[in-house]
Amino acid sequence: MGPSYSGNAAAPGSSSPLPDPVASPLPQVLLDGLFAGGTYALMAAGMALILGVVKVINLSHGAFFTLGAYVAYALAERGVESPIAAAPIAAVIAFAFGVFFGKSFVNPVRRHPFALPVGTLAIALLFEQAAQMVWGPHPLSIEAGAPWIGPGGLVIRRWGVIAFLSSAALLGGLKWVLSARPGLPLHLIAEDEEIAGSLGMDVEAIRYLTFGGACAMAAAAGALLSPSGAVTPTMGRAPLLLSLVVVIVAGMDSVAAIFLLSIGLGIFGNACAWLLSPQWSYVALLAAVCLLLSARPAGIVVLAGRRD
Amino acid sequence: MSTLLSAEGITKSFGATQVLSGIALSVAPGEPVGLFGPNGSGKTTLVNILSGLLLPDAGTVRFDGKEITRLPLDARYRLGIARTFQIPHPYPALSVREAVRVALAADAGKRKEGGGTREDEEGPTEDLLARTGLFNQRFVPCAQLSQGCLRRLEFARALACRPRLLILDEIFSALSAADEGDLMALLRAANRDEGTAFLLVSHNPPLLKSLCRRILVLKEGRIVRERPVG
Amino acid sequence: MRSAAPFSGGWPAAGIGLLLLFPLSSPDAFFLDVFTTGFLLAAFAASWDVVGGVSGQITLGHALPFGAAAYACALLTSFAGWPLPLAVAAAVLLAAAVGAGIGAISAPLDGPFVALLTLALGEIAHEAAVGNTFFSGPGGYAWGGEGGIPVTLPWRDASPFSSYYAALAFLCLGSFGMLRFSRSGAGLILRAVAGSPITAQASGVPIARFKRLAFTVGAAFAGAAGAGFVLHVGRATANDLSLELSFQAATFAAVGGRGTIVGPVVAALVLHLLFQGLSLPPSARVLLYALTLLVTLRFFPGGVVGTARDLASRLGGKEGARPPRRRGRKRPGEGTP
Repeated sequence: MGPSYSGNAAAPGSSSPLPDPVASPLPQVLLDGLFAGGTYALMAAGMALILGVVKVINLSHGAFFTLGAYVAYALAERGVESPIAAAPIAAVIAFAFGVFFGKSFVNPVRRHPFALPVGTLAIALLFEQAAQMVWGPHPLSIEAGAPWIGPGGLVIRRWGVIAFLSSAALLGGLKWVLSARPGLPLHLIAEDEEIAGSLGMDVEAIRYLTFGGACAMAAAAGALLSPSGAVTPTMGRAPLLLSLVVVIVAGMDSVAAIFLLSIGLGIFGNACAWLLSPQWSYVALLAAVCLLLSARPAGIVVLAGRRD
Repeated sequence: MSTLLSAEGITKSFGATQVLSGIALSVAPGEPVGLFGPNGSGKTTLVNILSGLLLPDAGTVRFDGKEITRLPLDARYRLGIARTFQIPHPYPALSVREAVRVALAADAGKRKEGGGTREDEEGPTEDLLARTGLFNQRFVPCAQLSQGCLRRLEFARALACRPRLLILDEIFSALSAADEGDLMALLRAANRDEGTAFLLVSHNPPLLKSLCRRILVLKEGRIVRERPVG
Repeated sequence: MRSAAPFSGGWPAAGIGLLLLFPLSSPDAFFLDVFTTGFLLAAFAASWDVVGGVSGQITLGHALPFGAAAYACALLTSFAGWPLPLAVAAAVLLAAAVGAGIGAISAPLDGPFVALLTLALGEIAHEAAVGNTFFSGPGGYAWGGEGGIPVTLPWRDASPFSSYYAALAFLCLGSFGMLRFSRSGAGLILRAVAGSPITAQASGVPIARFKRLAFTVGAAFAGAAGAGFVLHVGRATANDLSLELSFQAATFAAVGGRGTIVGPVVAALVLHLLFQGLSLPPSARVLLYALTLLVTLRFFPGGVVGTARDLASRLGGKEGARPPRRRGRKRPGEGTP
């Protein structure tokens, strides 16, 4: 009945996308968590866009993260080992897939409350299984390159810095776009689609383009973080949950809030993985989702097709 | 005269907007009361608070002397307070008959998880359908009904619990003359024969004058006037 | 659907007849096993339909009661030494309790959030099962974790024929029960809650209580299927709690036609027989399930049964419902406007 999400990989590197936590002192854990969390913010921002503009809970978001990581791996196999080169390529590929799914599936079935969560889960499983068939279920790793050594023996991983800075830059750009004229259609569609439509905006196109863009962001995050650990088909599940937690708690309005909360969760997750195990950080995220949903029963978003 | 429904100090804000400020009203048993107000006066909010769909920020609602402010919609229905919706949300997959059956099944004293026998519920169902003029359409899926029939179905649903108080939110708006006439007759009959009190929300003054004995005027979240009819 | 008999037409009877006769053609033990598992999965799919189809509560964690019952059977027989019938009864009760718990937590939530919550709960259980190993048993090696926990069965080796017929009987009885439930008064109220919660509430229905009922009944049947499954396979593994399994249930229901009970059963049998019978590797199977689901959701949202009904009504002429057989009462109808 399919592979289970297994954290018991004996291969080098854990199956969690967070850095290998063995024998890391606290500042190291904090730093690595900062890098990871800051990059996850890119994914969380994408989730916020999908929730706000397309009004859908996208369970395939993690699969696009995974796609980005595998693209980086495939490029590394062919000699292109820099995540900063892999990220845009992964983003373009993910954008294409995202637009395709957005146009052919998400937009048409948006009004059916059953179809979206189950359908996006199907897309996620599709990607996971395809990845498994092409690359196998075993964790793959990408050469990280020599890190810098900071004060007190602190290991500053080069890809970590690059990932963090890239994410911050992209999020800054996103924030600028949203607050300027180009971002106006997005705000309007998020508020009231009918008004947006009557103003002559092609709401359908903006929706699937936003969906594609958000998928691209997730894939970029996946590519940037790919040197951090093992690349496996199900590696996207934890980041998906992380994005959901961030958006549920921080809301969809403030990019800065999303960024900060993602960093917080990245640090927390890394600490969990170091103190306990990567599986525990996954379970902690799952428990966080359950607790948040139980505590906020009204739901955060008015989703397409829901009434009252 | 005892009071059936009474509300005091009802206040509600949505964010920075104060929608209702200190509303007080009462309905006596069997009394037909109208609620008139322009758009944006807070009519629907008030109706939602009185029927249990919304909690007020402050104030109390009492039914038969007992406080029901925090009682939800379904519990109030079982107490005998039934409301209709201005925009009905019909069951997409159920027929008219089944929709009425649901309301009857949930009626106080008849609530059974295992379901009653079909025969027990046939009679009252068909009665309600006949009264509201839906008998010939009882097998039609609710989603295919015309607006007039949807309003009739709302009525049937509301009457299923033999309510002591009906709260009707713009039930006559945008209806054909025939539908409006039928429903008005239905409402008058329920009031006259069963002693059902009602609170009718409408922006149509002649309609209110012909059906109600007292009209409350709501403006910008306050009851500004209360006048008997006739 | 409104005829007196729960099964409309002779199709289900014919299908059951064929299934009863199939083993007499002396098929391979492999195929008997595929059918047996198929029957149990079909019962599982029907139990999903009670929650996600009839009651409209989209659950992506239905493997949780299934696997909980499986593990309960295994642990109670192999650790606590309980006799099998008692263990099975306790397992089903546990599954029902799990369902009631899930229902209680998810009742205040709306569609997609219910899906998310149930998915998370299922994954927590799955991680717990994968991560936990127990040291015990004759032989002294660890149980649990990926290898799962064996069930101590009172029989040595069940004949494939008896497993086949036992599973088929279970499927028929279970489906019949679930069908009766969905057509009962409670089932009607559940369908109302699924269709328009606000109207149901305004009709006096206590929504939360009925949502809990849906989850409890669905979970009880899922638990029964899980117990049956673990009796057949001989051990409870973490796959019994996996997301892939929960997803399969939703797929069977979507493809068969949500809310029809019979549709998911048929879809489960056909898809399982097809994919498993062709001996496809697990990855390919999940991938094909996902593709089938996406195509169904996009082009045939009513599933097989729903699409068939649409075609039938369009070809048959009169749209909408057919009246049931009258049982005596005739009333003069009023003129409708």
